[in-house]
Amino acid sequence: MISVRSVSKTYGCLGRRTRALDGVSLEVRRGETLGLIGPNGAGKTTLLSCLLGFLRPERGAISIAGLPPDDLAIRVKTGYMPERLGFDRDLTGSAFLAQHWRLAGGDSRETVRQVAAAAARVGLEGDVLLRRLSGYSRGMLQRIGVAQATLRDPELLFLDEPASGTDPIGVAVVRDRILEAKAHGATIVLNSHQLPEVEKVCDRVVFIDGGRLTQTQTLRGESPAPHRATVRVPPDRREQALTALAAAGFTPEAGSDGSVRLSVASEQDLARAVKVLALADVPVLEARSSADLEEMFRRGGPA
Amino acid sequence: MIEMVRRFLRQRFGSLAMAIALGVLALLTAVQAAFSDPERAYGTGFLAIILIAAGSVSKDASDGALQMILARPIRRTSYLFGRYLGILVVFAIYLGAIGGLTLLCAKGVPVLFGPGTAAELSAAALGRGAATAFLNAMLFAATLLFFSTFLRGYADVLAYIVLQIVLGLFPMLGEALQKPWLRKAAEALRSNVLPNVDWSEVLRGHNVLGEPTGRWVLAVTLFLSLAAVIFSRREFSYGHD
Repeated sequence: MISVRSVSKTYGCLGRRTRALDGVSLEVRRGETLGLIGPNGAGKTTLLSCLLGFLRPERGAISIAGLPPDDLAIRVKTGYMPERLGFDRDLTGSAFLAQHWRLAGGDSRETVRQVAAAAARVGLEGDVLLRRLSGYSRGMLQRIGVAQATLRDPELLFLDEPASGTDPIGVAVVRDRILEAKAHGATIVLNSHQLPEVEKVCDRVVFIDGGRLTQTQTLRGESPAPHRATVRVPPDRREQALTALAAAGFTPEAGSDGSVRLSVASEQDLARAVKVLALADVPVLEARSSADLEEMFRRGGPA
Repeated sequence: MIEMVRRFLRQRFGSLAMAIALGVLALLTAVQAAFSDPERAYGTGFLAIILIAAGSVSKDASDGALQMILARPIRRTSYLFGRYLGILVVFAIYLGAIGGLTLLCAKGVPVLFGPGTAAELSAAALGRGAATAFLNAMLFAATLLFFSTFLRGYADVLAYIVLQIVLGLFPMLGEALQKPWLRKAAEALRSNVLPNVDWSEVLRGHNVLGEPTGRWVLAVTLFLSLAAVIFSRREFSYGHD
């Protein structure tokens, strides 16, 4: 669906040139949700700008469904939410959504109904929509931003820090909208520093640092990367748990917080570890697994 | 493009400060038109067009609103010419308001201050004044739009002033250096880039298809075409990585 081949992009001129992207190549399959992670200044927003056709790569090529990213046939299928919420602050919430509904090519007879439905999906209803955007909180702006991006159920969704600055309920609302778009078969590119959220919605993450794509990690689908599991057991049974898991073929380690940590290939693998502990008569207080993106982030890419 | 015109109208009239500023300016112009020559009174139109057109593209780009619009299925030229049409529609509404206020003043002044205090109001003069202001605004707005496609904030107004000064300086330079060719070339440049058309005469039916009118058409076309070329090729970054 999205093809990025050896893309390089430099900012500035003469002696003050900064290479924002350096030979980035990646493919995003139709219906896939790709997470872009990396430190500040890594080149993620530049990559997203190139994918949207706002910036033109100096070298390399980007195509979406075989077309340039700024082709109107692609734009018709695209939803986009920027990191910086530069909305028309003098517009009311409903006028803003109505404007984007029409710009997206929506039927003007449907505007009122579709605007109300999109706003309701992000928890903005009633008088809130009649208020000017200048009076919205950061969280409300994020929500209405997500609502505009998901108008007309786009096939392509580009989201830049969609849950930044929102409260936990807002984060859940944004996540639900992303999962809803995903269920409709949308291809999503998500740039976010909220690693737990990235892990919850993305099929794959790419780590970008210094303008280069340093690593890719599959979270879901075919051959996902091993997850890091944490099993909490009573402190006095930890040694017994370590022995039992090692005997079952796992490579457990004692966590600094008193838990037992191990690498699992899948959720079934984690269930097997819990079963091993149960058979060894070790009570399991909590068991969870994650892709451990934070660790990947600290190391500057997967180990 | 229609959506862009609609958006521009909402932006300009949605801002209370802008509406008040235009209202005050319209009232001052109307009072002046009612008391003196309506054709001359409309000369304040350039102040209104600065208020309406300044930073029309650059502000959208710096706010990030432009990127959200360009992510939609809309051609960049549709956005750009939508802005231009929007400027002209807002200015036309402003001129209409002046016309209405002038008529009110013309009726109200004799009642308040006694007969003979208001100027003789001619509908034709009022119409010519409005049309002159509108035609001048077409070139002024095209120039500001052109500068706004590549300059930041309100630097488009500053660039227009600099352009006026530079175009005015060259003929004087030619005169001072006693280089007739430089003076002629500079005057030709000035009359082609920012032509001064006597619309009062043209609107009376004199020299309608004359050289000045042709230069004015060419200049408007040139600024709009250059704006379209620059804007279509421009890159827009946003935020930080």
